[in-house]
Amino acid sequence: MYKGIEASRGIGIGSICLIVEHDLSFESKHIDDTEAEKARFNSAIEQFKTETAAMAENIRKNIGPKEAEIMEGHLAMIADPTMAGEMRKMIEAGQCAEAAVTAVCDMFIGMFSKMEDDMMRQRASDISDIKISLLKLLLGIQDVDISAVAPGTVLVAHDLTPSMTSQIVKENVVGIITEVGGKTSHSAILARALEIPAVLSVPNITELVHDKDTAIVDGTEGDVYINPDGEVISQYVRKREEFVRAQAELKNFFGKKTVTADGTEVELFCNIGTPKDAKKAVECDGEGIGLFRSEFLFMDRPHLPTEDEQFEAYKEAVETMNGKTVIIRTLDIGGDKDIPYLGLEKEENPFLGYRAVRYCLSNSDMYKMQLKGILRASAFGKVKIMIPLVTCVEEVRAVKALVEECKTELKEAGVAFDENIEVGCMVETAAASLIADMLAKEADFFSIGTNDLTQYTMSVDRGNANVAYLYSAFQPAVIRSIKNIIEAGNRAGISVGMCGEAAADPLMIPLLISFGLKEYSVNPVLVLTARSIISKWTKEEADALADKVLSLTTEAEIVALLKAEAK
Amino acid sequence: MVSKVVKVTNEQGMHMRPATVFSAAVTPFESDVKIKFNGNEFDGKSVMMLMAACIKCGAEIEIICNGADEEAALAKAVELVESGLGD
Repeated sequence: MYKGIEASRGIGIGSICLIVEHDLSFESKHIDDTEAEKARFNSAIEQFKTETAAMAENIRKNIGPKEAEIMEGHLAMIADPTMAGEMRKMIEAGQCAEAAVTAVCDMFIGMFSKMEDDMMRQRASDISDIKISLLKLLLGIQDVDISAVAPGTVLVAHDLTPSMTSQIVKENVVGIITEVGGKTSHSAILARALEIPAVLSVPNITELVHDKDTAIVDGTEGDVYINPDGEVISQYVRKREEFVRAQAELKNFFGKKTVTADGTEVELFCNIGTPKDAKKAVECDGEGIGLFRSEFLFMDRPHLPTEDEQFEAYKEAVETMNGKTVIIRTLDIGGDKDIPYLGLEKEENPFLGYRAVRYCLSNSDMYKMQLKGILRASAFGKVKIMIPLVTCVEEVRAVKALVEECKTELKEAGVAFDENIEVGCMVETAAASLIADMLAKEADFFSIGTNDLTQYTMSVDRGNANVAYLYSAFQPAVIRSIKNIIEAGNRAGISVGMCGEAAADPLMIPLLISFGLKEYSVNPVLVLTARSIISKWTKEEADALADKVLSLTTEAEIVALLKAEAK
Repeated sequence: MVSKVVKVTNEQGMHMRPATVFSAAVTPFESDVKIKFNGNEFDGKSVMMLMAACIKCGAEIEIICNGADEEAALAKAVELVESGLGD
């Protein structure tokens, strides 16, 4: 078995088509007849454009317009005066076309690969793709025609370039294996869009296999088997059936309410970071937004966003959700999230320092701009305000007082907003958990942030590998804390949600059902999975399991029990 | 020569698509269109150079047009950037 990066889920079993890397070396020579060389170059460029346009069209039809943008980008790049134009100039100066293509492309590859921005670095691989295509055209090298492979093919290549991926016929390719690339590479994104299982970054795989070898691609686990015996194949045939069945089952949960096995309905919301993500939440069947992080508005820019800018961004998300709840968390900066123009001083202990609501309350002019932006957006749907990093009741009271001030000012200005907007708090510190009963009298709702709650309860920096083993939401201390928060909220009659990663954890969900959680907020892609898991448990079963969990004293025992009882 | 300072407001900054939209819109003009950012000048008709300039959201750029139709070119360029470059 070979290990790689699991880039697109599912199991593929088939016969290998090995895409060989061609030798693209050439002899650089001085050209005397530069006109003839330019003509040879121009015809390669024309052919490249025709082929690329055809691929773009193919992707647009078979996958989608978003995915076609990669190939359209190639077209825009080659049409650029600094690309083909520079190449032509070099040919005029006596270089051969291959040398001109290589020099100009390598110059840009060097430039883009040095950039800090991930998306820009991705451009370097686009240019590399263009370079290879042009050299192949100039050197007269014919590629394997990927669009013509037989049904049941597993493609194996050093790297699957966008131009190769665009030729894939979904019905014929059952798996993809490459030697390079990660979860966010073009090939991974396209493989997922096509729902073809893919394992990337398997070292030297092109040297280990031959055409027509049998391969198993487990894109869920990142495992690859070459010429496995019959037993392994039948094991994976079963696994493939299970996967297909599970996928079909998940699709059945689309458009349904989220209910436990004994009929209790709960809310299943999404966590988002930008207004555009709200579309994703809708596409994934989220029932609302449980956490809209507002930091994006403040980051990667030279100064504070205005009230209007904030209002527009919140309104976009609220309108996208079309009447469904949108909980906006006010600015949560500090800690590991720095915003240069705020001029925050470096601290010894940023996670225990001047951050989130603490910073906002001492910069109330700035905070009021945000609160007004949110209030104005509340005229367009159901909006709630959520305060991050609460540790005492004074903070909730102070924010509520500011909200009232904002309301008065908006009213005087004749601006519409929701008079009854709810103000709730994130419960993510040990302090907030211990006084959850007191906070519940001040706040209109709770949302448990399990990531920070775990960090603060366990006093552990999860970024530090030496102590990361302590970072687990299944530590008895964290589980007790979660139980306490939910019960305190329920006793006070306010809604309690959870917007940390734990809300979608199959092992955590039965505990949350038992404790009485009303709202689960998860990454959009996990909505259907969470709905399916919630549907499997009755309160009675969950209670029985929770009782056992609460009697255990170590994290290891708790996880082992939850795994053994998982549904 | 005419010029104007504008702020890039689209979320992604001068990435592939916005750069493509910008260069395609200014290329038909006869005038030279340059973008001045961080002290460097970049060819506004070149997608590659626009991307290489690494212009992010919130950045202030100066658009400089020089040629027979410079006024019209500048007006078009400014309008594009202010409207968010098709994002």
